[in-house]
Amino acid sequence: MTATAISTTALTKRYGATQALNELSLSVPAGEIFGLLGHNGAGKTTIVTILTTLMEPSSGTAAISGHDIATAANQVRRTIGYLPENVQFYDNLTLVENLLFFAHLSGVHAPTGRIREVLGFLDFTGHDNQRMGTFSKGMRQRAGIAQAILHQPSVLFLDEPTSGLDPQGVAKLREIIISLNTQLGMTIFMNTHLLAEVTKTCTSIGILSAGTLIYQASMAATLESFPGQESLEDIYLHIEAGQRS
Amino acid sequence: MTRWSAVIVQELLCTVRERLPQLLLAVFVGMIAASAFIGSSARSSVTGVYQEALRQGLTTVANPFDSFSPLYYARNTVIYIVLIGALLAIVIGVRSTLRDRQARTADLILSRDVNLSFYLGSKLAGLALFVLLVLAVSAMINIGCISIVAGHVLSVGDSARIAALYALAGLFMLPFVALGMITGIRSSSATSALLTPIVIWSVVIFILPLLGTAAHPVSLLNPVSAPPASGNGFFAATSSLVDPLSLGEQFKHVAALMLADPQATGTMAGSIMALAVFAVAVCTAVAMTGRKRMRRMLHD
Repeated sequence: MTATAISTTALTKRYGATQALNELSLSVPAGEIFGLLGHNGAGKTTIVTILTTLMEPSSGTAAISGHDIATAANQVRRTIGYLPENVQFYDNLTLVENLLFFAHLSGVHAPTGRIREVLGFLDFTGHDNQRMGTFSKGMRQRAGIAQAILHQPSVLFLDEPTSGLDPQGVAKLREIIISLNTQLGMTIFMNTHLLAEVTKTCTSIGILSAGTLIYQASMAATLESFPGQESLEDIYLHIEAGQRS
Repeated sequence: MTRWSAVIVQELLCTVRERLPQLLLAVFVGMIAASAFIGSSARSSVTGVYQEALRQGLTTVANPFDSFSPLYYARNTVIYIVLIGALLAIVIGVRSTLRDRQARTADLILSRDVNLSFYLGSKLAGLALFVLLVLAVSAMINIGCISIVAGHVLSVGDSARIAALYALAGLFMLPFVALGMITGIRSSSATSALLTPIVIWSVVIFILPLLGTAAHPVSLLNPVSAPPASGNGFFAATSSLVDPLSLGEQFKHVAALMLADPQATGTMAGSIMALAVFAVAVCTAVAMTGRKRMRRMLHD
């Protein structure tokens, strides 16, 4: 039986009168690359923010690798890696200085060697002493992945990881995400708008609409279940339209 | 390297490499270096007038400057600490916490197993170390420049008094660093984060002393603390309330005693206590910051 990496039960978040998440129950088995899809404002970032312990839910529970986000938040933090959307880093510090800082914060032993190992894994060498203020968006995203995996988390959260990347950058990041999953065995939870990328990268998907999870299945089952639809985009629009009607 | 020292090193590197602190630091150290020569120039001008008055037979008293201690040349540094030093402290404090919000690194930090009070305390310790390094260098420059102007190496006693002045400057500047950190966390925009502590600084340096002593505003730019309030009337009532909060005047009072200013009277204890209480209160407020505050979006 496959262990559950991420689970939520009736997870709800309200911002005043606005309901961002509505009794969301979700389960992601370990070893998956899970893509959470949804329109702008559907609640995708809210759920990642809650699962990474940055925000408390209004009600409901959630657990990462069996650790409850409310009662074992520090255990959860040691278990996860996180790359937020549009992270900037400290522009006046070099790549290695930034990574050393985050490695020490994560309690990584022998951080210099670990940084070298991670940068090698990400095929991101030759920029060690370059200040991050000079980095392109793609380079920042790779640095973002590096800081997120320094402490060898078992679950990695990526919020719109391909946002703003050029096609080469998107392809490189896809390669990295798949490697993290297949070679290092990380469970990956990602929010994205790029449905073509989800098809190529994710092993399972969920669709969020107005804070409610309206669909969850493996990628293979999804593509098989909607034979009349040509692409994931068509499937997504079909499911969303069905929800509205 | 421990987590604690990693945060301190990161804070030092970021602060040293930022433009605005670099500019203020250059102005501060430059003015400290110039202060002895400005004092020397003032002394030369007054001595010139005295010599002319002596030549014309208008006076027979001895030149009052002849009896002045070389510490006289450090007097102007007191006002540079109150003005430029405090602004430098505010800027580095604001930038420290604003940096995490602007770069969205706050989320990277808070999603790790890191105690926020420990993190902010370490940042404050890093900035305090930066301030102490700046003040140590400034003290050496000041002692060197005074030795040049005085024409002899400053005595150990006088050097110790100047070192004590800079140690006091650290106590005076630290709460402004912490104040900057708080507004960097709590303000809704980068502009208000910088302006709010500057307004608070102008209140404790300029407004409160006026309410307590009826001092002429320009006199507050004088390194000597304002005269005490009269024994009765409005200012007698207000002075007891606002004097302890007039941090600039408290600092100037202790500094004048440390520099053996002949006009300075009283003791240091009360003023040092007022500065220490303010420092402890603001540093405690930094350590008590909640996680939600760190993640607030900026509106500019």
